[in-house]
Amino acid sequence: MFTNLTKLDLKDKQCMSDAGAPKLCMKALPGEGAERSCAYDGARVVLMPITDVAHLVHGPIACAGNSWDNRGARSSGSQLYRRGLTTDIMENDVIYGGEIKLKESILEIAARHEPKAIFVYATCVSSLIGDDVDKVCREAEAELTIPVIAVNCPGFLGDKNIGNRIAGEVLFERVIGTGDGPDEKIPLSINLIGEYNIAGDLWGVIPDLKNLGITLQTAITGDAKFDDLRSAHRASLNVLICSKSLTNLVRKMEICYGIPFIEGSFYGIHDTSETLIHIAKALNDLDLLERTLVYVQKREDETRKTIAGYRKLLENKQAILFTGGVKTWSMVSTLAELGINILAGGTQNSTPEDFHRMKELMDPSAQIIEDTSSAGFLKIIAEKKPDLIVAGGKTKYLAHKTRTPFLDINHGRKLPYAGYQGMVTFAETLTRTVLSPVWGLLKQEFPPKEGEQDD
Amino acid sequence: METCTKVTKEWLNTQEYREKNFAREKLVINPAKACQPLGALLCALGIEASLPFVHGSQGCAAYFRSTLSRHYREPVAAVSDSMTEDSAVFGGQSNLIEGLKNANALYSPKVIAMFTSCMAEVIGDDINAYLGNAKEQEAIPKDLPVALANTPSFKGSHITGYDTMLKGLIECLATPRQEDKINNRLYVVPGFDTYTANLREYKRLLKVMDAPYTLLPDQSDVLDAPNLGTYELYPGGTPITEMNDALNAASFLFAQTYSTPTTRKYLASMEVPVEVISMPIGVEKTDKFIEAVAKFTGKDVPEEITIERGRSIDAMTDSHQYIHGKKFALFGDPDVLIGVVSFLLEMGGEPVHIVCTNSTPLFKKAMESMLAASPYGQTATLYAGKDLWHLRSLLVTEPVDMLIGDSHGKWAARDADIPLVRIGFPITDRVNLHRYPIVGYSGVINMITMIVNTFLEEKDRTSTDPYFEMMR
Repeated sequence: MFTNLTKLDLKDKQCMSDAGAPKLCMKALPGEGAERSCAYDGARVVLMPITDVAHLVHGPIACAGNSWDNRGARSSGSQLYRRGLTTDIMENDVIYGGEIKLKESILEIAARHEPKAIFVYATCVSSLIGDDVDKVCREAEAELTIPVIAVNCPGFLGDKNIGNRIAGEVLFERVIGTGDGPDEKIPLSINLIGEYNIAGDLWGVIPDLKNLGITLQTAITGDAKFDDLRSAHRASLNVLICSKSLTNLVRKMEICYGIPFIEGSFYGIHDTSETLIHIAKALNDLDLLERTLVYVQKREDETRKTIAGYRKLLENKQAILFTGGVKTWSMVSTLAELGINILAGGTQNSTPEDFHRMKELMDPSAQIIEDTSSAGFLKIIAEKKPDLIVAGGKTKYLAHKTRTPFLDINHGRKLPYAGYQGMVTFAETLTRTVLSPVWGLLKQEFPPKEGEQDD
Repeated sequence: METCTKVTKEWLNTQEYREKNFAREKLVINPAKACQPLGALLCALGIEASLPFVHGSQGCAAYFRSTLSRHYREPVAAVSDSMTEDSAVFGGQSNLIEGLKNANALYSPKVIAMFTSCMAEVIGDDINAYLGNAKEQEAIPKDLPVALANTPSFKGSHITGYDTMLKGLIECLATPRQEDKINNRLYVVPGFDTYTANLREYKRLLKVMDAPYTLLPDQSDVLDAPNLGTYELYPGGTPITEMNDALNAASFLFAQTYSTPTTRKYLASMEVPVEVISMPIGVEKTDKFIEAVAKFTGKDVPEEITIERGRSIDAMTDSHQYIHGKKFALFGDPDVLIGVVSFLLEMGGEPVHIVCTNSTPLFKKAMESMLAASPYGQTATLYAGKDLWHLRSLLVTEPVDMLIGDSHGKWAARDADIPLVRIGFPITDRVNLHRYPIVGYSGVINMITMIVNTFLEEKDRTSTDPYFEMMR
């Protein structure tokens, strides 16, 4: 019943020997630290943004209790996806099994919460006690009019990346192409794969797509409605923007539905323009391409003009960059746009491709963060003494203790940074972070040393 | 089960739905409890140079760290031995041994506080035997103390996990009690308490009362560490030497009842004198704390304390009219609920709905007899084992003026269009609340400030010109 890991396109990847390269091996080093989340969390990250469905966790309180409504993925419609639904497996269920409890829970949700579908997440405990989540979902589905979809993602399968891929499998097998609607392609339409609408990122990109006449079929899965996802196979192009976490999905969609895919990023002026142009080219419409070339030039000029003031304030600041996914490399050019130099860069949850792309983009003098544990991170801060750190929330408070300005660019943030508009928000927020008067206060000696009182 | 054709928001607000909702047995919606290992982690952080070590899947530790980090806005140190699928087949021993070895080499702790998450418990890992083998194989030095706690998430809640870890830490670190070596100290156990300011308040009161004390555990400097320019992995906690001497304590005083029974039972079996009181929230419960400490020292209550108490009562008289007769709904952990409800009754506030997911029969009895004894407790009902979706039904069908609980209550409060005053754990959407005590006489003033000013703020924001006033 476990997902066959070979299906997930992991086994063919060797762990890279490059120092600092992300570990795609399934095993984290025991006792090293606890930064890395699990396969269950990885599947939740991908699927939870689907708004009009119920997400039911078949596990003990830890799994749902620590993860309901914790991602900042926004919805323009239904808020059902944020409801914390769990079977709350207790000791008796461990002994006698939790299948009956699970089935009743599914039926209760279907009757009273009006979901378009129910995603049921297996966890370490449900898998170890032998609950057959697939079977229960099938049985429940037979009694209902909506899909009940099992997600076999127990945390012990390994890292977050594995969970991402399992979620991709589930979307391909159980969601995409399963609707009653027509199947023919919609001209000039795209799916944005790996866009989760964190802090409303997606909404910063949609206006530009609209202005160019490109139809967004659906994001996978930010602000997504279940029915739109079912028709995702009608898109003419897949644009993969959280790099490789859903590569398996786009590859399969290419084979099965003939949808080509490209990779891109909407972080920063340069990457946003490049991605829009690539989309126009891939959609193979000359008129669109011409429009796009003019449009991106105009938007670039406008945006650069708007952020010029911020650039002046940030120019020549020295940064450490530590993130994952597409931001690994996309943030390099985004920071360069603001005149910021990168002293050191690193990644933990990225693919080898992302890592190499980051390496290529960075100045050769920039250091690769080899030791990605907290200890390694602190060491590099002490060595490099950066003016700012751009990273994910897990290192935020650590960085603050070293009195270094810190900007959270992962899911803990509250502001959208995608697209041209996002670049302005990013520049503004980064400026406020770096130039906050609190850093000066922190660096003041107290009590003042003798002779310095009158400074 | 009948199917419902149209689930509207209006229907969810009806008495009819409330009844269906309360008939719900298997499904939990918007849970109001955390898990055992999270409580164990919090406990472990309160001991000097102690490294929390999760024996289980890797995601668990990442979740606990992030939940605690979001509440305290501080880094939270913990390691995991990252069990994977092969551990499920072969057992977690090799992960545990390698994990101990790496953790010790990387982080040089004075004690490792090892606790389990679900996976290890389901497959039946014997952590005690594994630890013996780890030392046998010299993965870690034989004299490095490793405290153990079995804390699967499918049993109890964060408060029982805290309790089990605390017992494990004392068991591991304390030398056996010797009647000729009894120290003069009062060991004060705060219980599962996520207010660093509460811990500081206990220490301040004990100091003012001239009581030789040890606060056990003490996360105040760990989870509210000063910014001195460098990150300290182990910035504070109960000193190991005082842990070593814990069983020789003159006495133990527990400031929470329901998060400490296992530890109390253990201490009693070691013939250590143990006293337990309610969490000192509100005047009456704080009086009990002061009396217990005074009884221990044998000294008079210092004037400073009497004056402080007088100031609190003065604050209560200044603002009783804003709380008297107001209706409240509350949810949270048993100890905090007993305290906050007791405080509301002192002010003439009327608790109506009290939701406690991790209730126990003893708690239920204590809460119900307290309510029965007060004229203001007559309309209250305790809902044991219920979740925040039940609470939502209660709020929309039997409205109250205010909800008191942690940040997870904000949806229910929004749906019922009433203010939420944040008391409890986790608080992830407001700053600094853990830096204000809710215990002691100063806690009384802080709670009045939070509750009354929230009411007044509501009034100002919603009143029309004729009722908009400079004086409230």
